[in-house]
Amino acid sequence: MKIPGPGEEFLNETGAIARFTGSFVRETVSPRYEIKEFIRQCYLIGYKSLPLIGLTGFIMGLVLTMQLRPTMISYGVEAKLPAMVSLSIVREIGPVISALIFAGKIGSSIGAQLGSMRVTEQIDAMDVSGTNPMKFLVVTRVLAATLMLPILSILSDTISLYGSFLGVNIRSHMSVHLFINQVFSILNFTDILPSIIKTFFFGFAIGIVGCYKGYYSKNGTEGVGHSANSAVVLSSVIVFILDLLAVQITDLLGYN
Amino acid sequence: MAKQTVNNIKLGLFVIVGLVLLVISLYLIGKNSSFFGSNIQLKARFHNVNGLVEGNNVRFSGIQAGTVKKINIIDDTTIEVTMQVKKSLKPFIHKNALANIGNEGLMGNKVINIIPNDEPAPVIDDNDLLTTKQRANTDEIFQTLSSTNNNLQDISHDLAITVRRINNSQGIWKLFNDTSISTYVNHSLKNIDNAAAQVNDMAKVLNNITIDMQHGKGTAGVLFSDEKSGTDLKTAISHINNASKEADELISKLNKLTEQTQNDLDHGHGIAHDILKDSLEAKKLKNSLSNIEKGTAAFSEDMEALKHNFLTRHYFKEERRKKKRKANSQDSQ
Repeated sequence: MKIPGPGEEFLNETGAIARFTGSFVRETVSPRYEIKEFIRQCYLIGYKSLPLIGLTGFIMGLVLTMQLRPTMISYGVEAKLPAMVSLSIVREIGPVISALIFAGKIGSSIGAQLGSMRVTEQIDAMDVSGTNPMKFLVVTRVLAATLMLPILSILSDTISLYGSFLGVNIRSHMSVHLFINQVFSILNFTDILPSIIKTFFFGFAIGIVGCYKGYYSKNGTEGVGHSANSAVVLSSVIVFILDLLAVQITDLLGYN
Repeated sequence: MAKQTVNNIKLGLFVIVGLVLLVISLYLIGKNSSFFGSNIQLKARFHNVNGLVEGNNVRFSGIQAGTVKKINIIDDTTIEVTMQVKKSLKPFIHKNALANIGNEGLMGNKVINIIPNDEPAPVIDDNDLLTTKQRANTDEIFQTLSSTNNNLQDISHDLAITVRRINNSQGIWKLFNDTSISTYVNHSLKNIDNAAAQVNDMAKVLNNITIDMQHGKGTAGVLFSDEKSGTDLKTAISHINNASKEADELISKLNKLTEQTQNDLDHGHGIAHDILKDSLEAKKLKNSLSNIEKGTAAFSEDMEALKHNFLTRHYFKEERRKKKRKANSQDSQ
């Protein structure tokens, strides 16, 4: 069966990623766990990303508050500003912005790392020397990305809310206590839990796309740059697609 | 290796902080939607819940007390709302508390307000049914407002007509424009002023009179306050008193006299008795009286004889003539 042009390439890549995901799952559940390497990757992927994601989260919270303020005042509901901002941060902006920044930083770095290892034939060498490169390189990174993004997202939400608190206090005065009360009077389990669950999928998608792009890097050093680039682009797109799916699923389940 | 440990510690801290924040936020949300902690259930039945949904807040005197757990339709006019209320508020909610559906702000979410009643009643139990008070909803308020607006419109219409009439009325404007009115008014005011001054003077005079009266000057003063005239009056009254006493005595004497007379009459003493009671005497008296009659008749005859006697005839004639003359002169007059 012959499918013309870009369609064939797209389907080919989708299938390859699916197969790669399948082998990742197989390698993850089968014994010999690279725990030390996993923790190291967690440190590199999670902890090292915190400053960047924290900064963007802070700015998002502050800017969103200041942007919403005039509209809220024109509707006469300035007091609901914390509720409004916290709802949009927790439900959407926190997870998605964190995931996008995470994709930019981690997706590209994983793609570049694995790509350069592939083109310098280190992965082949590993395979020969008896270390499973899937286990040592891919499983640790994907798991680390999957588990770290939710935590990063929670921290980012918190920092965003702090930014929002400062944003509210630039023009008017509101105590921390009242701010927290306002935020948690509007937030519900159905706001927090779906948004945290979807960040696991975001992290997994970013990790798996980065690893796939790097793992199957071609064309020498030029290919490394290409795989890093396409890892970022593809994972960002997948983040948005997953976001769309997530909101539809929560809506279907009645938790929206 | 040491660096690895430091990195692991940093990673651990990172993960723990993230998870702790998650737990805290879940706890805060749970506290709000009363997921943790013990609750009691209360029920209330409404005709119309005005858009209340499960999860709306329940307030007791304005305090966040719980949430709406379930809304059931009992029949076509009754909707039962089940509320979860904090157990810690149970001792404060009494059985006669009222539940009504209100708004959080003008446009906000619906809330159930539990309002305490002034009357004493036992504390509420789990699964109790609260009495409800249906509050005017926004539609009704707007309807009332619209009728108020109509009334206002009518009133303003009438006002406009009145003002136009006043505006077009020449009489009123003439009155307003007439400058002489002010002088008239001025004069009247002056007159009133004068009158008031006179009244004032009069009051002063009256005042003086009363003062004089108090001090015993003038006739009235003497009358009211002179001691001498008072004593005079007293003696006069006492004289009158004495006179009446004497009159009294006199009457009693008269009384005695009549009693005596009566006595005499009854017991046959005195002339009166002889006349009135004694029949023998009365016969004598009758005889004497008839004798006198006879005597006088004889005397009359004698007198008639005397008239015709030649010696005295002339005198009688003369007398008759005189009488005749007198009667004639009276007739002519």
